[in-house]
Amino acid sequence: MPALTRDEILPTVTEIVAKVFGLPTQELSPELDLRQIEGVDSVKVLRAVATIEQRYDIELEDEDVFKLKSIDDLATVIEKTL
Amino acid sequence: MTATYGQAVEVPWASALADYRCFGCSPHNPHGLQLTFLTHPDGLESRFCLDRTFESYPGVVHGGVISTVCDETMGNLIVLQEGRSAFTVGLRLRFLSPLAIGQQYRCVAKLRADGDLYHGSCEVVDDAGVLLVTATGMYQPVDMERAREHMHLTDQESESLRRSLSQSTQQNGA
Repeated sequence: MPALTRDEILPTVTEIVAKVFGLPTQELSPELDLRQIEGVDSVKVLRAVATIEQRYDIELEDEDVFKLKSIDDLATVIEKTL
Repeated sequence: MTATYGQAVEVPWASALADYRCFGCSPHNPHGLQLTFLTHPDGLESRFCLDRTFESYPGVVHGGVISTVCDETMGNLIVLQEGRSAFTVGLRLRFLSPLAIGQQYRCVAKLRADGDLYHGSCEVVDDAGVLLVTATGMYQPVDMERAREHMHLTDQESESLRRSLSQSTQQNGA
């Protein structure tokens, strides 16, 4: 299977993050700092990460996971891992 | 596994080995988890509710015990689906939320071949279906001769286990 492009990854990741956070996708821009969103904490971010790992059948490195701030960062580590 | 849902499925160890004491799934180990398994369209399911014997912080299930539940469910899926024993060579978990003592949970495992190894994945959810734990595991299958050596089986036990594994595959294999 050819590797997914960043443009293909971003909408899926945005959709998963929106669902986990209980927000409409329109409120989530790729550069938005996820932990600055009201009601979002590190556990919710980790929940989104776990869902993404299941969706793509991948394991992200913990050191990457705990550094990431935005959907854009998520797309970067997914792209690197795929 | 077959595509049915929720049918009780027996792991082969109990019928094959008289002195089977697995901490995770033996009904004969009073100190163990005594996990039982059900068929699931994705693979294999275990439903569990743990008492304070398996506590970490007050009221919270110990993370190591949750790891065992995941490992057991993935490992026994290999046994039931592929008809062979396998040793865990890697295990990784994400704990998203603590599990409470006395609450009912479900662990569902899936499996795929990964070269000479098996790659298992599983998730633990609560009654409402909220995802609480995800896990992945890598498993090294072992042939009967090596299994016999590692498990210190007698000739009779080895033959009994071989028959039991073969029957499991016929009943549950893909």
